[in-house]
Amino acid sequence: MTKPPGINIALCEFRPDDAWQHVVIAAPEKCRSCREKNCLRVCPSAVFQWDNIPDHPVLVRYRQCVECGACRLACPAGAVEFAYPRGGYGVVYHHG
Amino acid sequence: MISDWFKTKKPRKLPRSPASGPAPAAAPEKFDAIVVGAGPAGSTAAYFMARDGLDVLLLERGPFPGAKNCGGAAVIAEQIHDLFPNFWEEFPYERIVTSLEYWWLNEDSAVTAGFTSGRLAAAPYNRLTVKRKNFYAWLAAKAVAAGAALRLGHRVASVILDDGRTVGVRLAPPQSAAVLADIVVLADGANSLLAEQAGLIPRLSPLNLSLYAKETIALAPETIEERFNLPPGQGAIISLIGHPTAGYNGTASIHTFRDSVNINAGIAVNSFAAGGFGPGDLLARIKKHPRIAPLLAGGVTLEYGAAMIPEGGYHAIPPLVHPGLLIAGDAGSLVNGTHGINLAMWSGRFAAKAAYAAKTSRDFSAAKLSLYRTLLDESFVLQNMRANAKAAALQRDAPYLFDLYSRMLNEAAYLSVRAYPMPIKAKRRFVWRKVTSLQPVGKILADAWRVLKVVKG
Ligand SMILES: Cc1cc2nc3c(=O)[nH]c(=O)nc-3n(C[C@H](O)[C@H](O)[C@H](O)COP(=O)(O)OP(=O)(O)OC[C@H]3O[C@@H](n4cnc5c(N)ncnc54)[C@H](O)[C@@H]3O)c2cc1C
Ligand code: SF4
Ligand code: SF4
Repeated sequence: MTKPPGINIALCEFRPDDAWQHVVIAAPEKCRSCREKNCLRVCPSAVFQWDNIPDHPVLVRYRQCVECGACRLACPAGAVEFAYPRGGYGVVYHHG
Repeated sequence: MISDWFKTKKPRKLPRSPASGPAPAAAPEKFDAIVVGAGPAGSTAAYFMARDGLDVLLLERGPFPGAKNCGGAAVIAEQIHDLFPNFWEEFPYERIVTSLEYWWLNEDSAVTAGFTSGRLAAAPYNRLTVKRKNFYAWLAAKAVAAGAALRLGHRVASVILDDGRTVGVRLAPPQSAAVLADIVVLADGANSLLAEQAGLIPRLSPLNLSLYAKETIALAPETIEERFNLPPGQGAIISLIGHPTAGYNGTASIHTFRDSVNINAGIAVNSFAAGGFGPGDLLARIKKHPRIAPLLAGGVTLEYGAAMIPEGGYHAIPPLVHPGLLIAGDAGSLVNGTHGINLAMWSGRFAAKAAYAAKTSRDFSAAKLSLYRTLLDESFVLQNMRANAKAAALQRDAPYLFDLYSRMLNEAAYLSVRAYPMPIKAKRRFVWRKVTSLQPVGKILADAWRVLKVVKG
């Protein structure tokens, strides 16, 4: 699995919530027949990962999510469920 | 009377830290107004409501105001000066913008235009670049000083409706409590999940929301001033058109901070889906461009990030007024081009006015609160957005415009600048033929006509 170019999430501060996953693929069966796989491209922090093997699931590395909210809008099947992380958790920006 | 009511409410002091919050079993707390989101819209609304004597609770999910926001940014100083006189004396802004440039880019060249003037360096300034952390902190502190209670690390999970009227909000864990209010101002930003989940606005569309990536690159202040040709303390904003957005309509920019620069680029969410590339690719295109790379050379990237901007324009504005609830700022799609901070602040100001009028008459119906929409309609917020309404539609209908004409402009400039062993008349004909081979004359004229119609309104 290669990291798309230009994504520098290693530089972001994250306060990950180990107790609750805020972005999930609620209907993973829809991913099997999904040709677009928009989530893989749209996500600016490579949260969605897939090994190109048809029956394998799309993994959701929610701890590195920057909370932009685009995946929910981009998924043609409406399979992504997104809520903001619990108060105080998640990405923390410092530089504007 | 409003003044008496204000006195009876005032002594109640509210716990500020999440740890000392009330137990969920206790009777829910009640406020005059709850504001969701301590961004420009929310903090401005909270400030003016608190100043006018309302009992205000300002809820922010981040650990500090601005923690969840990135990208840009510059503010139009004069519009904020009207709300908070001489605000630039109260927080550390980055640079006073005295140079505004537009670069139409090809893969390897640039046609540039711009305006630079020391006159822009005098107060009230034209634009100031700001870091969100500093700007949001200042504004939230104003709201607190005026009497609003700010609670950080508090995420609102939903609005509470009673027979169609909003009566409060429910907090997500760990607080998990209900808090009641006569009025809720939703200022939860571009990806306003709360309004959508409550059924108050239609589902957000990937056509109307653009996704931006940003990178902050550290450079010494003197290096920035030398490379961008700036006197000390002054700043530049460069709008990048064409190549950076990979053939899609979108925008890209460079904002100079004191000791760093922010590069930003974005296009509509559905364009990424169609284009087969991601937001990071757009930043890579900018950083690699031969005109831009030298500006950033030797810089150390401090931070990466991404966020959405509602760019649907005037026609994408959802209903903003509901019984007991007002929607302000990005949550209400109040963005003109990529400018949103000033519109957010003014919408917060107008929401506060409508809330105050509702409170004094004890009428929180949509009809009473529609003063908010009236004030927006009469102000620059909706007047400017209405004026640009057709531009947003044009971008949607002719998504190739920016890129194609940037390429043609660069081609024409390149050919004109280059010396050819031919007479001048022949050269003109040659350049014309070359450029029109990119797009037939008929189509150029048709596009020009469409753009003209939009510009002339
Ligand atoms: C890359 C980029 C560049 C930009 N450049 C500029 C620029 O140069 N000039 C300009 O004027 N505008 C710019 N904008 C637009 C500008 O950022 C927005 O228009 C502006 O921030 C809107 O303010 P707001 O208060 O409505 O929302 P936001 O600033 O998004 O604030 C919303 C707040 O609500 C909080 N929140 C959200 N949900 C909840 C919840 N459920 N519970 C509690 N809190 C919640 C968030 O944490 C956040 O603090 C840019 C935007 C981007 C993405
Ligand atoms: S776009 Fe949606 S359906 Fe397709 S793979 Fe991604 S999450 Fe699954
Ligand atoms: S919200 Fe944004 S960063 Fe998070 S998973 Fe979705 S697309 Fe990726």
